[in-house]
Amino acid sequence: MISAIYNFALTTGANRVVRGARIEHVCGDPSLGPEKDHAYGMRIVTTALDAVATPVSRPTLFDPLAPGPALEPAHAS
Amino acid sequence: MSRPLRAVHYVNQFFAGIGGEDKADVGVSTRDGHVGPGRPLQQALGDEAEIVATIICGDNFMSEQPEAALAEIGAALSRFAPDVVLAGPAFGAGRYGLACEHVCRHARALGIAAVTAMHPDNPGATSGKREVVIVPTGESVTSMQPALERLARFAVRLGRGEELGPAELEGYLPQGRRRSYDRGRPGWERALDMLQAKLHGRSFTTEVPYNAPDQVRPAPPIADLTRATIAMVTTGGLVRKGNPEKQSAANAARYHRHSVASLESLTPEQWEAYHAGYFNHIVNKNPNYILPLSFLRELESSGRVGRVHEQIYALPGVSTPVAAARELGRAIAEDLKQAGVDGALLVAT
Repeated sequence: MISAIYNFALTTGANRVVRGARIEHVCGDPSLGPEKDHAYGMRIVTTALDAVATPVSRPTLFDPLAPGPALEPAHAS
Repeated sequence: MSRPLRAVHYVNQFFAGIGGEDKADVGVSTRDGHVGPGRPLQQALGDEAEIVATIICGDNFMSEQPEAALAEIGAALSRFAPDVVLAGPAFGAGRYGLACEHVCRHARALGIAAVTAMHPDNPGATSGKREVVIVPTGESVTSMQPALERLARFAVRLGRGEELGPAELEGYLPQGRRRSYDRGRPGWERALDMLQAKLHGRSFTTEVPYNAPDQVRPAPPIADLTRATIAMVTTGGLVRKGNPEKQSAANAARYHRHSVASLESLTPEQWEAYHAGYFNHIVNKNPNYILPLSFLRELESSGRVGRVHEQIYALPGVSTPVAAARELGRAIAEDLKQAGVDGALLVAT
């Protein structure tokens, strides 16, 4: 699930949660300008694809803004 | 003593002794007096009420042709003119539970008091508990006797036109209604009592119960994304421009499925958001923010994912009761599974 209110998604039991940008523009941010907006959206969507390819055992956050190329799942609790 | 109440009992083909699954498509029939569990039910009712007739219907007939079944049941109820209808107990049996809920709701619409009994997780209880008085039972028939006794007790009270108190005190399933009543002591006193009980490790009963969310077993990861079919679902209220399907902006009763087989991206000329829970103007300029088709197409072209599923799923995910949302989600998931989709990206606003 891609959601800007990712804490809510985690506490209600979604197992793979990707941090979205904002409620009004979940997969990107128009205020960044077209190029960066596209890069950010792409980062969110590829993070979501990484999430569905990663084993999880409980609600887990995948943060597209997390530094580093490797994605370490961060746990909710 | 006043005359006994006239009661009508509803049972399925199994409890009527007609047969099991092989007879589940039998239509509506009636018998005078009690049948099957109606006998101990009559004992539980004692002199307070008499089961004048039993209405029987096969579970499949009821679930496949509810209108026809309920029309016949309605006619039978007019004929028997009961003070109260008792249905079940259905325990954990899903179709039977739904049938009992339908029959009780229909009886209530005809102005007849009605009560049924089933396990709280029975679909009949999760779908209809707001309108019908449902007495909780165990999951299997081994809890028949206590279930019948409680069913009888509620039937007599409802048949006499008594108003029930709150569900938590009376012991029927909560109907999700709030009614004003006087608890006798002001809220701050009750809150302090609870706080004290909590600090001293004593048990207490909250007045605002918290419904813990379901735990869902995580799906196994996709082994190879480059060969996977990925679908997209959004609760952001995506609709075709002008909302020709007349989707609601909140409390969705249905979702819509659209083909994007020929599309590279969602354009504002063809798509927009209709959702009462956030400002839609940004999405209306670029609908890919709530359903990332443009991104996924790029990733499909570059070979990062195998295939973008040609159907997308959309509804507004705001002000929707959990039970309704669960059913919508289940239906979408089943559809995706049948289509052989490997994974889905759900964008929630």
